[in-house]
Amino acid sequence: MRAKKLVFVFVLPLLFGFASDKNSLNSGDTPVALVKKIVKNVMYAKINQNLWEEAKTGLPLNSGEQVKTGPKSIALILFTDGSGLLNVRENSILTINSKLDNKRLNKDTFIEKGTVSFDVKKQEDEEFKFTTPTAVASIRGTKGLFDVLDDGESKMILESGSVELLGKSGKKVTLTAGNTVVFDKAGNANLYPSTDADKKKLGQAKSLSTKKVKIQTAFGIVEVEYFPDED
Amino acid sequence: MKKGKYHIIKILLCVFLFSFLMTNESFSQVSNIVSAVRIGDAKEKMPLSISVELYTSENISVIGLVYRAFGQTEFKKTEMLIAGNTASVTVPADEVLPPYLEYYLSITLRNGPPQTYPLDIDKGVAPLQIPVSAYSQKDKEILILSPSAGEILSEDELLISVSFIKAPDDIDINKTKIYLNDQDVSSDALIAGDLIILSGENFSSKVDLGSKLLKVDVYDKSGNLYHSVSRSFQTVSTAVAMEVSSRWKYAGNLKGESRNENFNSASTWYNNISADLNSSYDQWRFSGYAYITSEEKSSLQPYNRYSATIQGGDWFELKVGDAYPRFPNLIMDGKRVRGITGALNLGAFNLQASYGETIREVEGKVLQTYSANNVPLGTDIIKVNESKYGAPYARVDLGTFNRKILAVRPSFGSGESFQFGLSYLHSKDDPGSIALGARPQENITIGSDLMFAFDDQNILFTSQAAVSILNKDISTSNLTDAQIDSVFGTNSTYDVKPSTVKDIRDIIGKFITVNQYLGPWNPQEFSSLAAEAALSLNYLDNNLRASYIYRGNEYQSFGQSFLRTDVKGINLADRFRMLDNKLFVSFGYESLSDNLQKTKPATTTFQTTSLSVSFFPRMDFPNITVGFNRYDNDNGLTLADSAKNRIALNAVDDITNRFLLQFSYDFNYLVKQNASLSFTTSNRTDNSISNLDSKFNSGSLTLNSYWNQQLTSLFGVVYSSSSIAGIPFNYFTLTLGGRYRMLENKLLLSATLSPSFGDFKRQAIEFTADYNILLNLNLMFQMRLYRIPDASTNSIIGLVTRLTI
Repeated sequence: MRAKKLVFVFVLPLLFGFASDKNSLNSGDTPVALVKKIVKNVMYAKINQNLWEEAKTGLPLNSGEQVKTGPKSIALILFTDGSGLLNVRENSILTINSKLDNKRLNKDTFIEKGTVSFDVKKQEDEEFKFTTPTAVASIRGTKGLFDVLDDGESKMILESGSVELLGKSGKKVTLTAGNTVVFDKAGNANLYPSTDADKKKLGQAKSLSTKKVKIQTAFGIVEVEYFPDED
Repeated sequence: MKKGKYHIIKILLCVFLFSFLMTNESFSQVSNIVSAVRIGDAKEKMPLSISVELYTSENISVIGLVYRAFGQTEFKKTEMLIAGNTASVTVPADEVLPPYLEYYLSITLRNGPPQTYPLDIDKGVAPLQIPVSAYSQKDKEILILSPSAGEILSEDELLISVSFIKAPDDIDINKTKIYLNDQDVSSDALIAGDLIILSGENFSSKVDLGSKLLKVDVYDKSGNLYHSVSRSFQTVSTAVAMEVSSRWKYAGNLKGESRNENFNSASTWYNNISADLNSSYDQWRFSGYAYITSEEKSSLQPYNRYSATIQGGDWFELKVGDAYPRFPNLIMDGKRVRGITGALNLGAFNLQASYGETIREVEGKVLQTYSANNVPLGTDIIKVNESKYGAPYARVDLGTFNRKILAVRPSFGSGESFQFGLSYLHSKDDPGSIALGARPQENITIGSDLMFAFDDQNILFTSQAAVSILNKDISTSNLTDAQIDSVFGTNSTYDVKPSTVKDIRDIIGKFITVNQYLGPWNPQEFSSLAAEAALSLNYLDNNLRASYIYRGNEYQSFGQSFLRTDVKGINLADRFRMLDNKLFVSFGYESLSDNLQKTKPATTTFQTTSLSVSFFPRMDFPNITVGFNRYDNDNGLTLADSAKNRIALNAVDDITNRFLLQFSYDFNYLVKQNASLSFTTSNRTDNSISNLDSKFNSGSLTLNSYWNQQLTSLFGVVYSSSSIAGIPFNYFTLTLGGRYRMLENKLLLSATLSPSFGDFKRQAIEFTADYNILLNLNLMFQMRLYRIPDASTNSIIGLVTRLTI
């Protein structure tokens, strides 16, 4: 009798598992984001793991997972609630955090370093935040760019809409389209109309223009797609 | 062996049973001009493409799409672009509204009276209807994350992903069916939580390049279809995808066609070449289009079309060549202008302008000459060059003058919540452009328009007003001082100071020729005023629109040829959305009257009542539309009184009742099927002297079957029974068609067999073979044959090459 119970306990879940008529990547949490496109070298790390693995198109990203782009590399990341698209430029590291609450996906993307351009649709009840070492931005429906330097200094250039930002110093700033804000290491904000250089950077950060080289190796021709220098 | 036999049967099927079926097709109407009408996916607030396959474009001067949404006062007309044997147009997104769009085609022939499709619209035949489905709240629950609409993806970066994060809990994600161009690819999908993913490496078979329609059917836990969402995108080679993602992008097509038409024993070759090129750099877009045809003749209006366009984001556009600028519709809408057209949209201030030729000069022909002594009266008798023609007068086939137009509209406000615009249009015939013409004209129209909206345009007010001045004959130029002195003065015909008239002439003469043909003569009666205002309220799933129009009998803008004048009245339309946009109840009432300036023997009132109920269940059940229209026209006169009062001969007294029932159903029986069934009945009682009593009954059934990725077929039956003024006309049409892809999808064979029986006898056969020679080069052979027993057998044989760069 006891043996039968054991069989029941162990076999039934297996039966249910196989009864699914679709392949299943992960029966656990719903991913918060999805890698839509990759150029050259993009890695990701699972939550609380320092092991970087190669990312591929279609990779689902769960809350807390990290993405890192190498030199001349790009990753396009879609949020699974359809709220927006991140264009992660070369040499960037970010962590995507989220919480699903009653069909609402609250997102908080931590940009450790690098450049991320974003196109975020108008949010209804959900939160959409960017966090950097020196500032937090709450997004409602905007396009723009967040740039985090190695020393933690952050710059946001806004193309459309408006964004509420809170500096590490505790000061709140409202950034509107056509303006730029820079937070220094202490989180102090400097707000000014976007310069031509800022606008150029904004335009370049949306580009997906890539180049390809073919390298003859002992194993045959290897194609490498890369993101060219922006000047 | 068995497989080979099956293959042969499929080929035979495609030869005998076929047609193009990617989109809805209408074969239901009798016509010797229109072979089929192809309608794109009609979704609320989405642009709708309509193309018309013509048996022959010979003898067609202009073909226009005439359409209106439910409850709209009047039809709008837009000229279709004729390229070879196809005429096409796109209905703007804001005109595509549920529950349906009514349309017919207006065909102007080079020789012969104008026609409509369906025939006899002017005699009470019902226009055709395109069911328009509404967006659903469920569209926000089932999200296609990738690809985005219209996206161009390379074969190795193809990613399909559907999110169910916002879907209700009773959805069973595992039951989801995913179709790529009707091929079931569900088994290749991976599930991650509330996400379905298909990336390039998951596909069990290679995905071919080209246009793709992704359709996702979502089921609940009971196995019932919950909702369907779809998206169009393209897969291209990696090299093309890199070009697309580049900041510099370009794409183009080159198409050449040569065809022979054997029409009523006359054999004619037609040759045409069309090219389009599009490129962009960041926000700048450049495009060019050219269509050159052997049908172009200096004795006709232009058939060639060409244009070059530069666009800077949403804020700047400049087009040189042929354009169809859209100003407020009282001023200019849908008219072809060959010249320069542009727009500057800065938000707070905007400027739109167009300048160019709308009519080309075409010289007339002398038919008969007269001496000064025996010249009769006639509108086609003009003075001619005596030394050239040997007589001072001649009866002529009148030519057309070159007509140029200038339209300018500055406006203030972005149009999201407020916009105020002012419009000025000036158009003038060039009297010197031809020798054998009469009565060159000149027109000025001045207008203003205003819109304001609140609450995200849920409250929307729009209005426009315009006045026109028309000179019906500018051949005599401005009035001279002597002419004014002879007519005006204390003891002359008009007791007005000549100096005052001269001052007016000098001021108005800067804008338009001032002579005795200038009108209106009764501006105080608002005869050349046109105005309209509309208020729309969109609340509680209820869209209410109320409008008022006024059009004086002499209002005329050379930028707008299709406006109904001498009419005023109200229009009310209300559309209720229920059950998450699955059930639409629409009601419309319109009351118009004419004779605004008392120029007719009696005033006619035109009352229209419309009621429609549409059910779009988005599940395993047919879409159903039931509609009723009543048209009641009456001017109070009774024909019976004509013995005592001859004015009663002008009696207008007719009532038309029209019922419509339409079903469309997507279902699976053996294979995926798409069926539609419709019935229309119309009864007109006409008590006027014309006595155009009419009855019209028709029924049609079409069935599209998607056997596999290679083979699709069509079966269609139409029965039509009509009686106009007591003359019956009944016919029955059977359509069998299909298409078959073979040789690794490089060869597409299509054919249609369509015999008609009864009072309209005709056998129509169409066959095409489209072969993809190279990745970007296609060669198409086309053959059309239609035989009218005991009358004629006509054919069209053509060869088309298409190069994509």
